Amino acid sequence: MSIRIEQVTKFYQGVPVVNDVTIEIQSGEFFVLLGPSGSGKSTLLRALAGLTNIDHGRLSLHGRDVTELPARERGVGLVFQHYALFRHMTVADNIEFALRVRRMRAAERRKRRQELLHLVALEGYDERYPSQLSGGQQQRVAVARALAHEPAVLLLDEPFGALDAKIRVELRETVRAVQRRIGMTTILVTHDQEEAFALADRIGVMQMGRLLEIGSPEDLYRHPATRFVARFLGAANLFLGEVSQQGLHLGAATLTPERVTPLVSSGAEAVLVVRPEDIEISASDSTPASRPFASGVVRALTFAGHQQHVSIQLAEQSGVQPATSNGHEAGTAMTVDALRSAAEQSALPLAVGAGVSLGVRRIHALPTPISSFHIMARDGAEGDALAGSAVLTQLVHSMQARVIRHGEQSSRGERLDAGICVLPLRADTPSALRAAVEQGARRILCIPASAPLPLRMLIHAGDAARRSDLLALVSSVMRHLPVQTTAVTVQRAEASRSEVLEAQRMLLDTRADLRGAHGLDLRGERFVGDRSAWLTHLATQAESVLVVMGLPGRMAELSGSLPRDHAPLFGATSRATVLFAIDAAS
Amino acid sequence: MSFDSTPEALAKPRPQQILPGFGLTMGYTITYLSLIVLIPLAAAFVSAGKLPLGQWLHVLLAPRVLAAFRLSITASFVAALVNSVFGLLIAWVLTRYEFPGRRLLDALVDLPFALPTAVAGIALTTLYAPNGWLGRLLEPLGIRVAFTPLGVIVALTFISLPFVVRTLQPVLADLDEDLERAAETLGARPILVFRRIIFPALLPALITGSALAFSRALGEYGSVIFIAGNIPLVSEIVPLVIMTKLEQFQYVEAAVVAVAMLLLSFTMMFVINGAQLALQRRHQAKR
Repeated sequence: MSIRIEQVTKFYQGVPVVNDVTIEIQSGEFFVLLGPSGSGKSTLLRALAGLTNIDHGRLSLHGRDVTELPARERGVGLVFQHYALFRHMTVADNIEFALRVRRMRAAERRKRRQELLHLVALEGYDERYPSQLSGGQQQRVAVARALAHEPAVLLLDEPFGALDAKIRVELRETVRAVQRRIGMTTILVTHDQEEAFALADRIGVMQMGRLLEIGSPEDLYRHPATRFVARFLGAANLFLGEVSQQGLHLGAATLTPERVTPLVSSGAEAVLVVRPEDIEISASDSTPASRPFASGVVRALTFAGHQQHVSIQLAEQSGVQPATSNGHEAGTAMTVDALRSAAEQSALPLAVGAGVSLGVRRIHALPTPISSFHIMARDGAEGDALAGSAVLTQLVHSMQARVIRHGEQSSRGERLDAGICVLPLRADTPSALRAAVEQGARRILCIPASAPLPLRMLIHAGDAARRSDLLALVSSVMRHLPVQTTAVTVQRAEASRSEVLEAQRMLLDTRADLRGAHGLDLRGERFVGDRSAWLTHLATQAESVLVVMGLPGRMAELSGSLPRDHAPLFGATSRATVLFAIDAAS
Repeated sequence: MSFDSTPEALAKPRPQQILPGFGLTMGYTITYLSLIVLIPLAAAFVSAGKLPLGQWLHVLLAPRVLAAFRLSITASFVAALVNSVFGLLIAWVLTRYEFPGRRLLDALVDLPFALPTAVAGIALTTLYAPNGWLGRLLEPLGIRVAFTPLGVIVALTFISLPFVVRTLQPVLADLDEDLERAAETLGARPILVFRRIIFPALLPALITGSALAFSRALGEYGSVIFIAGNIPLVSEIVPLVIMTKLEQFQYVEAAVVAVAMLLLSFTMMFVINGAQLALQRRHQAKR
């Protein structure tokens, strides 16, 4: 293992800008940290270089723990966006800087410098000053300088950001070639998805300080786990579809997904991702060769060189629903983006206003149980309060998920087994909760009045260890809320040694499961006392928390468990937001 | 590679000006500069020209004038040197750190500049006189400040401080902190980072600032005459010599000394500007 980043956390003004990030990077790997600005990717890179301290976690390079070492002793090579060349020194002096610091002899220095200049194709530029070079050349010098002292890893912080498009592509190839040639473990930080695809062996996508997903470019593109990654790595149509024994249903089409996650097959509703190039357009009077799913009207055509963007408004009766809230108003039919190759364009010329039928070639279902939010309120004011609560606003915003408002009268008889039910947290919540479970609700979020955004999420590990469902739910929330996540075991003070060890093992298993299945990391904590004491402690804490708990699915057990085990959460003074995962009734 | 090799610094055509009126504004510029700067300077030369050149040396090499020149130059030099060290320190603290009262401290730097020089002179004299607050403490140690060359240095240091600080501040603020980070990741200790990276980048501004401070100190009159005591051959500065000669109606001799000082200032300006230009040309900042 070349680079090990373990549970690294960094706070800035109380907000985690890097949140429990754990990554293992192999020797010689080219790893790209991809994310929008402010996602924490640069902070993580600088923490690895030793230029910023971290509040929690360990960093190791080639098995050497460097967490406490100053930057100069870590042996990393860092390349900056604006080159950061020493302007009063020649190219030769810049490259030899690290060697001079190490008191290497002049002849050896010169030899090493010439090797490096050869590597970045700048032979003969030794005596130039940085101001006499173009931007691309300066960045080549910066790369050579960063490699001079044979660092353990090469770190590149948006190295092509300040360059013209053409030079950017060229330098990208140079960097990739150099990295391959010397087999240097490399991390590159960028917000450019195309750059990440071109360079990476693996990509880690960051958002809100959290490492959302890790995978090869192709894997992430074809099988994203979140709406954010699906859209950040290229255009995507997001639909709400249904899952059954036969496969995934989208409009009239039924497809078998390439990858079946246990979670998707167990839920009735799923978020489906269809890339624009996987949508087939045929004339309205013919049937697409792939799976036909809807018909519509061409609304816009955009020329894009060898490809053509087609925007199609679906017919209202097609029964296809979007999975996202933005840009879609109730009652209007949704718009689908498609991409056509030159061959397809010549086979079927299109004009705006033409009727077409659509087929889908490939489909992917997101492994998230959160397809939509269902607000269950007594009246409009309460519904507004729930919709406007800090935690729901943040979740909906970062997920771009649909919010469906259920009035008191219409909620009866409606299916609630998909997505998350949102209830206000008050004294009578248990009965509302029971009613929701009777209607099939499987995940219920209870929000107390005017609760601030939670800073911590606590998972009852006794529940978490049993259920992969619960961890899937937890991972979905973790990816969309900037919370610190901790699994908690609750034990009596007089617990025996073996019970304590058992609890420890459970925490470790929970962490391993979450990392294995979702690539996310959490902390472990042991609370001494009984469950009710723990919940009382949480409910009355000044700090805002989100508690995740499992509940039995059988009505009889649920009716007994709610008042017996969870009473403190529903007290008048309770400030904790609670997310319940209900077991399958069977 | 092929399209990568053109330096960005190719000459660009000067953009068309939006506002008209080059002729008019240029005319005013020349008239104004002539009235305010050139004519008075020329007058000094004319006035000094009344004395034959042979007599010039006689005036300038008089022991009293020579001693005054020596004191003015060395005291100004020492003041500029002291300020280049402490001015750099102050500029560093003011730009690099955030702390309560930073703005107040920043404003304080301008005080020697804004204060009437006579006020500064009187204040310093009261402080450093043998019975003043500081003078009283220094007296037993055998250090006398007021009415000695040391007093001249103290006054000149006081009035020339803002020039160094204000010249360095913008340069320091513009200095890319990534340079230091780069040097650190390459293995350099903090002292080396300062010596090899920060100091060379600041050097041109430091030279300019010190030169400005030196020039200002050379011409200073108001604050010095109180604390210097003006003892001929000991603590008399050149401006005072000129003043004395004027008071004794030796107008031509005063003009001769003034012209000598003017030439000295010019030479200084040329040498320093030249050195600075050479330095700057070497590492012109370019993005």
